[in-house]
Amino acid sequence: MIDTKKLAKEFNNLGEGAIVLIETAASKILEVHLAAVKWLSDKKYTQIILSTSRPCKNLLNLYQKNNIDTNKIVMVCSVCQEKEKKEQKNSKVIHLQSSSSLTEIAISLSKCMESMKDKKFVFIDSINTLLIHNEPNTLAKFIHSILTKMRTNNVSGLLISLEAETDKEVRAEIAQLCDKIMCDKIVKV
Amino acid sequence: MEQLESAFNEVLKTKEGKSILLELDAESYLKIIIKTIQKLQKKGLSGVYISIQRPFKNISSLLKKQGIDLNKLIFIDIASAVSKETQENNKGCVHISSKLDVDDLVRTIYTSLDQMKGKKFILIDSLTTFALHKPISETLRFSEFLMRQVKERKDLVLILNVAKDFSQKKFIQDVVAHADKTIAVKA
Repeated sequence: MIDTKKLAKEFNNLGEGAIVLIETAASKILEVHLAAVKWLSDKKYTQIILSTSRPCKNLLNLYQKNNIDTNKIVMVCSVCQEKEKKEQKNSKVIHLQSSSSLTEIAISLSKCMESMKDKKFVFIDSINTLLIHNEPNTLAKFIHSILTKMRTNNVSGLLISLEAETDKEVRAEIAQLCDKIMCDKIVKV
Repeated sequence: MEQLESAFNEVLKTKEGKSILLELDAESYLKIIIKTIQKLQKKGLSGVYISIQRPFKNISSLLKKQGIDLNKLIFIDIASAVSKETQENNKGCVHISSKLDVDDLVRTIYTSLDQMKGKKFILIDSLTTFALHKPISETLRFSEFLMRQVKERKDLVLILNVAKDFSQKKFIQDVVAHADKTIAVKA
């Protein structure tokens, strides 16, 4: 189990516009995801969530079960591959062709960031799934570009990655671009 | 960090242009860059910050918060250029084309250095991030050209940063071979 209070404390200490990399075990990745979305929702952030691991419907159900307000959530989903762009319950979902369409993902994230006025948070889940579908260098270049866009627009961010599972060089390239790296040791009970 | 301090003292004592490659922990990357600039400014150096990792708006505000004198720095905003972000006009920042032409970049660095007086430094925040946007051959041409040029000057220190996990990569080893000093820095 993760310590949600500890995680919240870590998040509370982050400056505005900070970008964090969380490295966690596969068994805890969903728990960390839900705890992070819950914290962001409680703090009234507009969340742009890139889901590459679980279908949006599944995540939205989990949010509801965990009392997470989905009104301010925009889901960019590359898992379902549904053609129609449709609203689901209280949140907006943008369906993408696949996790290998990095240009399409970048355009969608950029449009979301530009169209929203409230304080925003981009949440990328996960680096490892994106690595299954993309070449390491291409992915690192994509992450650099997205993080630059976020920093230019003062948007905060969270990237999730599996501890010790990510290619050493990609991990180093992405980690050096982040403001803070949190590992399981920080958040586990 | 003591290692860094003594390396700077040693290099500045020689009154020759030198290049130093810093191998940094990814976890404390920015923190070490900030400490490096603080140390160099304390020794009276002005510098050109080649910002590949972060856009000018972000890095300048972070450095300012840490008490770094931005009047003694000129930024070359490569991050915004390669990400095709709108580039704001600011007297402390030079923008370049998204093509990231190495010859243009070197010219821009030297034009910026000419605007400064006294001892100077060039700081490249990440060679590996540069290599994401240019072929390895061009990245090496860029770093080797600068290292050669620095040797011909008396008032210039070149700092090249790289994450520790890349230190065994072949192209980084090529840079190590040409640099005057390589230091593994821990926060």
